[in-house]
Amino acid sequence: MVPRSALIRRKTLLRGRIAFPAGRLGLGALLTTLLLPVAGCKSVVPAKPLGTPVSIHSPLGLPPVPIPPENPPTVQTIALGRRLFYDQRLSKDNTLACASCHNPKFYFTDGLQFSKGVGGEVGVRNAPTLLNVAYQPFQFWDGRALNLEDQAASPIANPIEMNQSHDVSVSKLRRDPVYRAMFRDAFGTEDVTLKRIENALASFERTLLSGNSAFDRFQYGHDSNALTPQQVRGLAIFINPVKGNCAACHTINAQYALFTDGKFHNLGEGVGDDGTSFKDTGRYHQTGIETDRGAFKTPTLRNVARTAPYMHDGSLGTLKAVVDFYAGGGNSNPNLDKEIKSIHLSGQDREDLVSFLNSLTGDLPANVGPPPGKE
Amino acid sequence: MASTLRRLSFLVVSSAVLSTGCSRKAEQPQTAPASQPAPPVYHVDSATAGSIHGIVRYQGKVPPKKPIDLSEDPACVEAHHGKAYDESILVGRGGALANAFVYVSKGLEGKNFATPAEAVVIDQKGCWFHPHVLGVQVNQTVDIINSDPVTHNIHPMAATNRAWNHSQGPGDPPMHRKFTKPEVMIPVKCNIHDWMHAYIGVLDHPYFAVSAEDGTFTIPNLPPGTYTLTIWHEKLGTQDQQITISPQQSAAADFTYKGK
Repeated sequence: MVPRSALIRRKTLLRGRIAFPAGRLGLGALLTTLLLPVAGCKSVVPAKPLGTPVSIHSPLGLPPVPIPPENPPTVQTIALGRRLFYDQRLSKDNTLACASCHNPKFYFTDGLQFSKGVGGEVGVRNAPTLLNVAYQPFQFWDGRALNLEDQAASPIANPIEMNQSHDVSVSKLRRDPVYRAMFRDAFGTEDVTLKRIENALASFERTLLSGNSAFDRFQYGHDSNALTPQQVRGLAIFINPVKGNCAACHTINAQYALFTDGKFHNLGEGVGDDGTSFKDTGRYHQTGIETDRGAFKTPTLRNVARTAPYMHDGSLGTLKAVVDFYAGGGNSNPNLDKEIKSIHLSGQDREDLVSFLNSLTGDLPANVGPPPGKE
Repeated sequence: MASTLRRLSFLVVSSAVLSTGCSRKAEQPQTAPASQPAPPVYHVDSATAGSIHGIVRYQGKVPPKKPIDLSEDPACVEAHHGKAYDESILVGRGGALANAFVYVSKGLEGKNFATPAEAVVIDQKGCWFHPHVLGVQVNQTVDIINSDPVTHNIHPMAATNRAWNHSQGPGDPPMHRKFTKPEVMIPVKCNIHDWMHAYIGVLDHPYFAVSAEDGTFTIPNLPPGTYTLTIWHEKLGTQDQQITISPQQSAAADFTYKGK
């Protein structure tokens, strides 16, 4: 038996790609609609990048960037993606670009608790940084997209974000000769398609890498002076399973550190006064699995000192508040992650942890700001 | 393409299933407890109601005040205003003992009392719980407030009720919590500041009191009858007394704890 909510989720996933009939239309109408895209009008225009291949260099502390074989980055797709990323025409009233909520000035966040959409709409989740997003096996706090290509166009059409149908976005861009030339250079023809937009945005996002932090120089660069003694103490607490236990989810590997396991965990953040229910069910919204209620994706801690506020709901304003939250054992609820428990951290321990978190601020990549002529 | 087709066939099947009406199942309440009509609320006849009053005393050498070190959290030192002392045995003039919880433990069986609409408040202020000992009725709302510039994580370590803990940052809105079963007492701590302690007594009736700084307590509006009165103190243990209340009588019931 498939719960109705699962059906709705599937529909949401498909929204924007296929005009899907709402409700309970007859089977025949349904099949006709479904078969149309399969018949091919969307797949005629190839979205495979042409142009000059780019090898994306990973800074100290980061592994090689995973590249999907069907969308290798090129000079042209990255340039196109960069232009799209900063283009407010992708929003309904031409006021918001991707960069509005993922602003390079705020390390590709917006510094707000909740992001503001078109017409002052306010979301329910905190905008995550896009730095190092290329490494994540799931996109969005609830993991509803599996890769950047799948993720990229979703906020454009989301009614509480940029609120513009993909058809409108495509036709707006089509009217711009600069874009037509850029699409031609990137994909071989002037055609503007959603898939091409997604591929270009994803390739640009794969260049948003930030490493070479003080921690990286200490851990991977053999520079034992890169961290202060207090930060070294904080690192020890961070990785100690019976102290901070932070690295259980914010992982540090032998050769690199993403500071996230890319998985979903329940900290109890956002649980209601009954101690059991969640207004925002997080991962459950996507999977329908009961134990996923209230679980959200582990965010990276790279650049965390510059990406306040914290948690999926932006409810914690400072790193001190975050460390205190964990020291207290989070918020109890039926699905609390087994790694979350009340831990004894002295005042000094907590200060050391905060100091360590300040060592995770990395270099910002070059050539990722507004494209020339668009500053 | 293949995955798209799979998705589509999934949709076709599921919508077909839905349209044949299986969705009724989803509309049924998932966790419907066997509902029984609530027993009628007992009304105390004010013409005959009596009360119990008394004084709680501590006899013996008063233990010296033990200072508590808040310096692990400098913001707590600042917020507390002055020195902090352990308050597990608070003895005042004439041996008056504060923070003892006095309640009717027997004699009210079969009576069902209304749940008060007003909330009981626990304030986390100066990295301290206020009050230190409190009583609340089953299902009465407990408002938990953080007046401090630091995060607290209140943790009622209930045994009969569900134990829980919840983080509350500076400026966070109050929590509104309830305890659904009688339990005397629930020890409460802060998971972050290990010197913070409180105790909550949960009862299914309103006949309880906490001794004041002068050791006094009053339990008003009690139907005439014979009761067991129990006193609880976090360090000094419990004692029982039988007491009979005649109509309109204000009966005295003093308690004495003997120190070492």
